Amino acid sequence: MSEQHPTARRRDPRAERAARTVRVEPRRRLVLSVDVVPQTGGRPRRDPRARRAEAIVQSVPRLRLDWTGKAVGASALPTVEGRGPRAASEPVLRVIDDPACLLFAVLDRPDGALSGHDRQVLAAARLLADAAGGAVVAVVPDGGEDLGALGADRVLPLPAAWADEYAPERRAAAVAAAIARWSPRHILFAESQDGGDLARRVAVACGERLFAGVESLSSARAARRAGGGATELGCAPPRLLSIAADAVAPLGAVRHEARRLDPPPEPDGVPALQGARRLPVDPDGVGLGEADFIVSAGNGVTDWDAFAALGRALGATRAGSRVVCDAGHLPRDRQVGASGTVVSARCYLAFGIAGAPQHLQGIGGVERVIAVNTDLHAAMIKRADLAIIADAQAVMPALVRLARERGHG
Amino acid sequence: MVDVAILLSVGRHPVSGRARRAPTDARALEMALGLPAVRRTALHAGDPASPALRDYLGMGLDRLTVLAMAHGCDPVEPLAAHLRSLSPGIVLTGNRAEGGEDSGMLPYRVAHTLGVAIVPDVVAITVEAGGGAAEVVQALARGQRRALRVALPFVATIHPAAPSARPSAFGPARRGRIDSVPVEAPPDAFLAACAARPWRDRPKRLTVGAPGSGGALDRLRAATEAKAGQGRLLVGPSPDEAALAIYECLQEQGVLPR
Ligand SMILES: Cc1cc2nc3c(=O)[nH]c(=O)nc-3n(C[C@H](O)[C@H](O)[C@H](O)COP(=O)(O)OP(=O)(O)OC[C@H]3O[C@@H](n4cnc5c(N)ncnc54)[C@H](O)[C@@H]3O)c2cc1C
Ligand SMILES: Nc1ncnc2c1ncn2[C@@H]1O[C@H](COP(=O)(O)O)[C@@H](O)[C@H]1O
Repeated sequence: MSEQHPTARRRDPRAERAARTVRVEPRRRLVLSVDVVPQTGGRPRRDPRARRAEAIVQSVPRLRLDWTGKAVGASALPTVEGRGPRAASEPVLRVIDDPACLLFAVLDRPDGALSGHDRQVLAAARLLADAAGGAVVAVVPDGGEDLGALGADRVLPLPAAWADEYAPERRAAAVAAAIARWSPRHILFAESQDGGDLARRVAVACGERLFAGVESLSSARAARRAGGGATELGCAPPRLLSIAADAVAPLGAVRHEARRLDPPPEPDGVPALQGARRLPVDPDGVGLGEADFIVSAGNGVTDWDAFAALGRALGATRAGSRVVCDAGHLPRDRQVGASGTVVSARCYLAFGIAGAPQHLQGIGGVERVIAVNTDLHAAMIKRADLAIIADAQAVMPALVRLARERGHG
Repeated sequence: MVDVAILLSVGRHPVSGRARRAPTDARALEMALGLPAVRRTALHAGDPASPALRDYLGMGLDRLTVLAMAHGCDPVEPLAAHLRSLSPGIVLTGNRAEGGEDSGMLPYRVAHTLGVAIVPDVVAITVEAGGGAAEVVQALARGQRRALRVALPFVATIHPAAPSARPSAFGPARRGRIDSVPVEAPPDAFLAACAARPWRDRPKRLTVGAPGSGGALDRLRAATEAKAGQGRLLVGPSPDEAALAIYECLQEQGVLPR
């Protein structure tokens, strides 16, 4: 086949014939010389092969096409590990030098790291700020995060230690002082446990009411659930609001300058809540859905004493696959999976679990999975961040011994 | 020995919509019944004829004081004024009402008006021997608990994880007395400014995929493809090697202390 240029025009045989016609009466007569034929034909010619080659996002393990016109051809960039080689365009820096008003996004930073909920609060503040031509000020215990990439124009740092310490009164006093100093148009909080507490403390300190747990937000209207869940209260976004989890989508690729402002003065006065300390909790008493660290057994576990000792030594909540619960080795409320509990632990340590789809559904939200299995081809091994091909009955006592040596359990 | 006040509101059954005890308020009353108290005062601001108030009496209260006021009024001022005259050591409230504004602001506003400390999400209270301070336990996410020491007087809101309330018995519910005190309360302007309509569930927001990056293809991929791990693989290590690898991974994740 001859090489087709994308700009080649489609031939229009009717027009060509009309151009070559010299006489129609009494009979049609055509010129046969080629130069009479008009070079520019009708519509531009499409090249379906080239278009398809451009739409290929990945070719292994399966062909995937993206017809939106944004994909880069697979021939140009070889696919890497099944991810589409889309060039990530760097967002341009947006500087708001002279804002019409300020908006505070008071972030939580639970356990010393920004949570997804904090990002959503920043997105909500961005939404209100863009409608009013304002700038978003992130009020947050000092930390290493790049808040500009999350949509903050300014940063008002609070002492870094407040992220881990329980200091709600000092936090509220500092935020209230900052509100008095900068008089922002809106103050947004996260309706999480600590964030909601802070929001209410700040609200009473400012003598204002809080519109708590906003479920839907636009620049013109905020709505929340009330009346025991039966009614929706709506109004124009009030000054103080707290945003419920997953009510606002976090921002995509943005870049703001995150200019640092002077921190508010440290509040003085002795806090009434003192001597806060974490209490040890019985890991098996914690509900499976709430548990942070789970050690789980499947059909490959036969040594149940070692499994129980391991749970105690690591301080982990025990759980199991359905086979194990069916056999009565663990109670039913300890079953992980589609017909058991969907867990959201940070760490999931699995012994002798094959990784059936019903089980994997239950651990979709787990951050890190460690699997011990004798079968290299088990689905659990593919899911795991650390996979160990070994006998569970040998690894469990070794891990118990190691944990005891290091002073746990 | 302390003087305890309990703020009780009227709840609403989520399915039938009938008035009932508000769940966390009932837990607050349960906790108050377990404290070594010289005097327990249960307070409600609202309609003295509400049948749900009898459910609280049925838990073993002799009497319940109702600050009678019209619907839609702000209960903070009358409650705070009444509490000031009682000056209790501990004020127990639920952490969220059911059927009203449900913002959980009332305990904070009462505490601010009284000028006392507030402790949120409490599941247990132990009063120290002298009666000058109390050890409180708070419920945190993921089943964790935190202990604090607070000087009396204070306001505590009760978390739903606190010990559950005893059932309400019919006899005490009939025998208990409801003392009605008419009060003047200002109308709640903040609430009146909001438009109310029946709640309709919204579709759950899909939170998969990196926001804003790429198009529908990325979201589809994030929603459908099974999450693959980082894929460190050890084949046939000795048990001790395997244990060490697991232990280090757990430490790195922060679930075990270093
Ligand atoms: C409708 C429905 C709902 C279900 N819901 C759930 C659910 O909610 N949760 C759930 O878990 N399951 C559920 N299942 C069952 C699921 O399909 C699997 O049958 C089950 O998860 C398998 O459990 P398992 O991995 O422990 O056992 P197996 O499939 O028997 O796997 C055992 C694994 O242990 C390994 N092994 C064997 N010996 C050793 C050893 N000495 N050391 C280390 N590894 C060893 C084997 O290689 C194997 O990979 C459901 C099924 C159905 C039909
Ligand atoms: N009208 C009321 N009378 C007495 N206590 C109330 C009243 N309204 C609310 N409370 C208390 O305040 C808590 C929080 O209420 P709210 O701020 O309305 O969510 C409730 O759990 C009750 O303990």
